Amino acid sequence: MIRFMGVKLASGLAAIFGASILAFIFLRIVPGNPARLILGPLATQQAIDAQITTMGLREPIYAQYLNYMGGFLRGNWGFSYSAGQPVTTQVANRLPATVELALYAFLFAFIAAVVLAVLSTYRRRAIIDGTVRGLAIIGLSMPPFWFGILVLMLFFSYFGILPGPEGRLSPTTAAPDAVTHLYTVDALLHGQFATFLDAVWHLILPAITLGLAPFAFLVRLLRANLLDVSHEAFIVVVRSKGIGRLWAFARHALPNAFLPTLTAAGLILAQLLSGSVLVEKVFNWPGIGALVSDSIVRQDYAVVQAFILLSAFCFVVVNIIVDLLYHVIDPRVRVS
Amino acid sequence: MSDSKAIGARATRTSKVEHTAGDPPEAETVLSVRHIQTEFVTRGTVVRAVRDVSFDVKRAQKVGIVGESGSGKSALALSILGLIEPPGRVTGGSVWLNGREVPLRDDRRMGRVRGREIGLVFQDPMTALDPVQSIGDQVAEGIRRHQRRISRKAVRRMAVQLLQDVEIPMADHRLDDYPHQYSGGMRQRIMIAIALANSPDVLIADEPTTALDVITQAQIMDLLERLVAEHHTAVILITHNLGLVAEFCDVVQVMYAGRLVERSGVDDIFDGATHPYTEALLRSVPRSDHLESGPLPSISGAPPNLAALPRGCAFEPRCPIGHGREVCIQEQPMPILLGPPGAEMRVECHFASERYERARAEGETR
Amino acid sequence: MASSAEPRQAASQRSAGNGPRRDTPITRIGRGLAYLWHDPVLASGLALGALLVVVAALGPLVWTASPFAIDVGSSLQPPSLTHPMGTDSVGRDLLARFDQGARISLATGAIVVVVSALIGGAIGITAGYLGGWLDILLMRMIDAILAFPPLVLAMAVTVGLGVGVTTSAIGIILTAVPFYARLLRSDVIRLKALPLIEATAALGATRTRIMLRHILPHLVSTLLIQAASVFGYAILSLAALGFVGLGAQVPTPEWGTMITNGLQYALTGQWWIALFPGLGLLLAVTATSQIADRGRDIFDPRSR
Repeated sequence: MIRFMGVKLASGLAAIFGASILAFIFLRIVPGNPARLILGPLATQQAIDAQITTMGLREPIYAQYLNYMGGFLRGNWGFSYSAGQPVTTQVANRLPATVELALYAFLFAFIAAVVLAVLSTYRRRAIIDGTVRGLAIIGLSMPPFWFGILVLMLFFSYFGILPGPEGRLSPTTAAPDAVTHLYTVDALLHGQFATFLDAVWHLILPAITLGLAPFAFLVRLLRANLLDVSHEAFIVVVRSKGIGRLWAFARHALPNAFLPTLTAAGLILAQLLSGSVLVEKVFNWPGIGALVSDSIVRQDYAVVQAFILLSAFCFVVVNIIVDLLYHVIDPRVRVS
Repeated sequence: MSDSKAIGARATRTSKVEHTAGDPPEAETVLSVRHIQTEFVTRGTVVRAVRDVSFDVKRAQKVGIVGESGSGKSALALSILGLIEPPGRVTGGSVWLNGREVPLRDDRRMGRVRGREIGLVFQDPMTALDPVQSIGDQVAEGIRRHQRRISRKAVRRMAVQLLQDVEIPMADHRLDDYPHQYSGGMRQRIMIAIALANSPDVLIADEPTTALDVITQAQIMDLLERLVAEHHTAVILITHNLGLVAEFCDVVQVMYAGRLVERSGVDDIFDGATHPYTEALLRSVPRSDHLESGPLPSISGAPPNLAALPRGCAFEPRCPIGHGREVCIQEQPMPILLGPPGAEMRVECHFASERYERARAEGETR
Repeated sequence: MASSAEPRQAASQRSAGNGPRRDTPITRIGRGLAYLWHDPVLASGLALGALLVVVAALGPLVWTASPFAIDVGSSLQPPSLTHPMGTDSVGRDLLARFDQGARISLATGAIVVVVSALIGGAIGITAGYLGGWLDILLMRMIDAILAFPPLVLAMAVTVGLGVGVTTSAIGIILTAVPFYARLLRSDVIRLKALPLIEATAALGATRTRIMLRHILPHLVSTLLIQAASVFGYAILSLAALGFVGLGAQVPTPEWGTMITNGLQYALTGQWWIALFPGLGLLLAVTATSQIADRGRDIFDPRSR
């Protein structure tokens, strides 16, 4: 077990190392002239040369890499010239919005996937099953940014029942006092029920949009697993004890079908991370994703670089956690 | 069954059997199966897995059901339990337990019968247990389902007792283990413990030893024998191992193409089968008391296609007696009762009486 | 997915009924069409795909309006007979731009599929077939790529190489390579252990010959299915990069950038600007996922 954890951690670290080199290569070496970008087109050549030196760009490549990674690990993620702020500050300010949105998106994806996968396999009605499979294909094929625009046009412009792209709260609602920085949680903690409702109201469309791809992915996986498991002999045996269909399904088929989906957690995180870049812009959601896409347009790549490294880091860490978790949960792996 | 040897003393009776769905079963009978029909429908083709099967099982009686793969044995077992899943469906017939009709088509009410009055031991012990639940939980699940008012501790005590009954060493300790930590034979013991948890009147054992090695097989059968004797449980043993049937059962039922073609006392059938299919089946088994040279005979021809069954007897194309005969091609044979009253003999063959009489005559001259 | 058995059976029955087997291209096509008749999912996917290819190829020939001609006088016009998909904020005809966008998307998708299949296939087959330190080295490289969420890595590459359709395509190729490499590697390892291959090797066939003559043909179905999914992934990613401003630049009528362009008008009533390019994307990707999905059902008996 300890050996296994060691191997997993080592390969995870190796992946992060490789990923950081890749990120560094693409972001540091290739773009033409970062100093020019920072100082603007009107700067003199002298100023640019000076800037290049202060940025350490004259040092050998490996030294540049070590400098950058050293800084990154110490919390110095670079300076965003367009915002005039350290990237760390910006990310810290915007992280809660992204986390809250991603949480609700995941919640939506998970619940919807479980419900629909169960519906399509529990009674095995061809119509329901066909619909669910169709939804999964469409969900995976849907450009999330376009879907966001579509639901906004429908539910905000046309029906007028859900808020437009105005961020996390209505302009007239004050943010609740910060405890967790997640508005829904903070509002409940302070008993501000109206604020809570307003926050939930603003979360519906972005969360569904962001959750669509993970939903489609999960529902496919779960459906296939459930079909496999429900053909297993142990389900018949459970039923032969007098256990009802529903209970046998919930207590035996579902846990067995869920186990393999755990390995997909990394993929879902990837979908949420890249999805946030696409979806937050549509809804003017003040999160990291919108920050990244704004920075791209402003060619302020310090933010983009930090985001890319951070994503790789989260991705690898989640995959390691999943591997370890697997060993805790699955009795077959646990003992051996 | 020992008196069945006195064939000459028997008053022969041959008559067609007519069960009706409403028959009140006899007093001694724990399980009555009446005219069960089970079909599987896939895209327009109807596979008739079980066709009009009727039989009775008495208290503590051990009935063997034999037949080739695909003859409908397992489908029959699941039909009796009401566990046929779509696209399959029990399309007709009834099942009676202790004189009461079982609510086959009402899954909720059926849940009160399954596990309490009928238990099931399933074929493959490797896949018959939920891999992510502890053995204890899986044993306890059946107890808790039918005995609601007992404490957790009592359930655990009962589970330990059950594991001890099926001779699992260190039962208390092993209760918290998971299926993959058990060997195949041990898992089959667990299966038996689960099936007997609520002392059912009938136990259906579907190929309980097929996946096991010979020594473990013998151990499991001994265990089963001891336990059903203690509980006075009737057993329906489904198998294609005729040797197992000869050793374990009182009565043999032979299935072919979804029908029960012959039912006889175990001694009768091994002395000389009446149905040509049974005869062929017996000949294809190596026996230590018939050590003849030459290859083992096999049944020529292929098993019938259950989606396109002939009008008459399903065995006709392969039958050494009836092949090509008009009556066999045109008419489905009806069950014929043979032997003295109370004899467990019932054969579906147009030539059953004839063959039975001849066999009896040969027996007398011998 | 239990339905997969039936059309296959139907098709094989049909082909068996063809009497003496003459395998001319025409009978092959006939059998293919007969097969499709029994498989509406695959048929609809193929039909949709074909439709989009036709739109991309012939659209600009039939609808001759310029995708670039600015006409401020007729800006933001809703769909009408003169502009079936309406016009954008500077009065460009959106149908012409849609057609052009289809060309860009499908062409980029095709290039990404082919190039990443060549690179990824070569890596996967080499690693799987030769094994040893080369396998370890190549797979560590693949792992490094897989340590990124794919779209994020494609963004990084595009930022690094400079924005545009070509650089986006390079980024997408980089992220698509591991899909092929991983899959083909495991397939090759599986095939290598087959008695057939071992026997061929025992008969003295060279490595290259075994690889080309015996292993490669077995990989074709895997490759084709993977190609279909990568195609969908590629056009979706290209549009996503375009949407955040990394892909095609302003006057280029790429579907993703067209959606960005329509974003600011979507909520003020000009729904058509963002609607049609998105619809095109959705249809294209749905078609390819359907094809990939059914392909997997048909070729891979393990997945149901």
